[in-house]
This record gives sequence, C-alpha cells and structure tokens, in this order.
Amino acid sequence: MGRTQPLSTALVALVALAVGFLLAGQVKAQLLTPSNQVGRNQALIRSVQDLERTNQADRANIQGLRAQIDALEAQAASQSQTTQGLQNQVADLRAHAGLTPLHGPGVEVVLTSGPPGSDPSGQSRNLITYQDVQDLVNLLFASGAEGVSVSGRRITPLSAFTGSEGEVIVDQGPPLFSPIRIVAVGDRNGMEAALGDPNSLPSLRIREIQFQLTLRVRGAPDETLPAFDGSLEAPHVSKA
Amino acid sequence: MSARPSSRRPRQRSRSSAGPTAVWLIALLVALIATVQLRSQAEVEKSLVQADPATLAFSIDQLSRSNDALEAQISDLAQRKLKLQSGGSTAADQALQTELDQLRILEGLVPVHGPGVVVVIDASGLTALDLQDALNNLAAGGAEALAVNDERIVDGVPIVQTAGGVAVGGTLTPPPWTIVAIGDTNRLAETSDAMTQQLRGDRRVRQATYRVESDIVIRAVVTERPFVYGVP
Repeated sequence: MGRTQPLSTALVALVALAVGFLLAGQVKAQLLTPSNQVGRNQALIRSVQDLERTNQADRANIQGLRAQIDALEAQAASQSQTTQGLQNQVADLRAHAGLTPLHGPGVEVVLTSGPPGSDPSGQSRNLITYQDVQDLVNLLFASGAEGVSVSGRRITPLSAFTGSEGEVIVDQGPPLFSPIRIVAVGDRNGMEAALGDPNSLPSLRIREIQFQLTLRVRGAPDETLPAFDGSLEAPHVSKA
Repeated sequence: MSARPSSRRPRQRSRSSAGPTAVWLIALLVALIATVQLRSQAEVEKSLVQADPATLAFSIDQLSRSNDALEAQISDLAQRKLKLQSGGSTAADQALQTELDQLRILEGLVPVHGPGVVVVIDASGLTALDLQDALNNLAAGGAEALAVNDERIVDGVPIVQTAGGVAVGGTLTPPPWTIVAIGDTNRLAETSDAMTQQLRGDRRVRQATYRVESDIVIRAVVTERPFVYGVP
C-alpha cells in the first residue's frame, strides 16, 4: 500500500502533465493557423513586438522618473515659499497638459470596426481609422471636453493621430486596434448632445449603416483619465 | 484500542482518494493556465498577422521614431532628477521655472518662434474637417507649435463648421488659410510636400503651396481655460 501510493500519484501527475500539454498544443494549433502570410511576416512581427516592448518599458521609465521628480520638488517646496509658488503654477499647467490624471463627469465612446468582409469592395471601409478617432476627439473638445484619452493614451496639446489600415497611433504609439475606447471628462450634457447629433461625424454615421461599424456612447458621473506617459519634448520652438 | 484503527482507516481512505483528486485538479489548472497563456499570446500575434507587410513596415518606422522620442524624454527627465538631487531649493526653482516656460509654450500661452514651414491653402468649399486633417498632418509631421490665420492651435481649441464657414476658437476663419508650423524643418517640409501635392489634386483647391523658413514667429496665444468639471 505504502509503495503503490507514491507510484500512482506520480502516474497521475504524468498523465496530468500530458493532458496539459495536449490541451495547450491543441489550442495553439487552432489559434495559430500556419499560412504563407505568417511565414512571410514573421520577422516583421518580431520586430514590431520588440519595439512595442521597448515602447512600454520606456513609458514606465518616464512615469517613474516624473514621480521621482515630483517627490524631489515637493521636498524642496516644503523648505521655500518661492519654490512652493512655482510648484503650484507648474502643477496647474501640468494638469492642463495632461501630465496628471483627471477625473469628473464625462462620456465613454467605444468605436468598433465592422465584421471582416463587410466591405465587399475590399477598401476596408469597415475598419476604424485614425481619422475617425481624430474626428471624435475634436468633436469632444469642441463640445466641452476638458480632457480626453484614447484607449488609455492621454491627449495632450501636442497630440497627433496617424496609422494605417485598422491601426490607430496616438503620439508615440503603440498601435491601437478596434475596439477603441475614448473617454472624455468635461461638460457631459454638451458632449452627449454633440455625439447624438445625426449631422456630426458624417463618415462614421454612413459607415455604421453600410459596414456595421459601431459607435457606443455612455455618459457617466465620474470618469478617470490617466496621465500622459510619453514625450512632450519640443526642441525647435522657444519663447519669442 | 478499537477506536484507533477505526479512526485511522477512514483517514487513510480519504488521503488515498484526496491525493489523485488534488493532482487532477492541479493538472486541470496547469492545462487552463497554459491555454490562457497561449491564447493571449496568440491573440496578440493574430492581430499582427492580419496586418499586411506595408502596415507592419509602417508600424516599425513609427515605433522606432516614437522610441527615439521617448528615450530623449527619459534622458531629459534623468538630467532634471540629477539636478534636483544635487541642489536644494535653488536647483528646484530653476527646474520648475524651465518646466513652467516649456509648458506655457506647449499650451500656446506665450508667443513663440523657431524654424518651420508656412503652408498656404486657397480653396472654396473646404470644411472644418479638411482644416483639422491638415493641422493633424503637420502635428504628426513634427510641428511643435501651430497657427492658422493668426489663430494659435493646440488640441482643445475648437475648429468647427458653422453656417458662415469654418470657425477656429470661435473666430470665423475663411480661406485662404495660412498655416504656420514650427518644428523640425526636414520632417515638416516632407509632410507639407505630400500634403500640398494631394490638395492640388482636389478640384475645390485653387492653390496649395508651402515654404520653409529659418525663423517664424507665432504671436497668437490661447487663453488658459480653468477646469469647470474635471478634478486633477
């Protein structure tokens, strides 16, 4: 009895391991269908993934450094009134530049691409583009937003949108894909009215009908925007 | 004496059935974790696999440039931190004053100057969306400060279509639009060239030109808007 017990346990453990690997292998085989495209793009995909990892690490580094600088400045401000005054002015400007989190009433908009193949012309008009996101962000600011974020990326006074088919890049990336979640804090009623206006966002409205893109809007009493974690370097411009 | 064996037997029985059950549970957990892990990796790869080589090449170019910008920011912040660590409130005052000046420039609160481009677009029938596109192209092309017909542009300044035409920050701004962008002139010239070429192909556009200048001044400023709804 005493000897068969560990033996049976070991056997069960081996079977368990085999089951685990089999299951995982099965899932992997189903999800990663081998194709010529995968083979051709493999090197490019690896480069993108490496760059995305660096991008993420750099952002974390920037956030860490900004927090450390804040702490050092606060320490200095506690010893000098002049420093305290300067720190208050900087804090206000940082908030307006999107360098600190912001919360308050607002709206959440979720933009989702239409299903694959819903544009039979092959022009991919079923996909969300960076122009769609740009139009939405501009509409939100024009209707009372005090701060906006796009899938966790805070919009700053220098923000720009780029991208290619189905890919949206805000400032220094990384690329964002559908669904894109846009959150705005500000005049909730004004923003909801603008988003509900059938004459606003004409390109999106038409493609909603033709290619089943979706635009879901939800108002909320308290939305939170993250702080910007990218670069705000502007080396070519100086005070006149 | 008789109580002991009877109490031991059920304990042995429960151990012999609990052992394999626990191992099976662990097995299930291992399988589940492995599956979830592989699925999340596969999901990420699938979204990239769907992208064509041109999109991937675009992503590589964009991410490389972005990472350079992020690293420049890291270097700047690291230097600022070192200065703060080495000095007392004097170093802090200097660092804060530098940041104050930078943020005022960034938010359009003070007049600015620097190298850049001047883009002129004369057209009839262009809308607020066309102007937003042009400004976004320049911002993505390296503009660090922007103005249209002497109206300063930063994100948050409303550019809207009204019955009378395009309004920028509440001021009616009819074409011709003179867009001034300060920044890296190589990148801005490249962007302006592509943009004006495309605009010249538009029937509504009468003129779309650009010129590079070594020093442009933007005097227009934006009025600071206090938060009404948002709480930092």
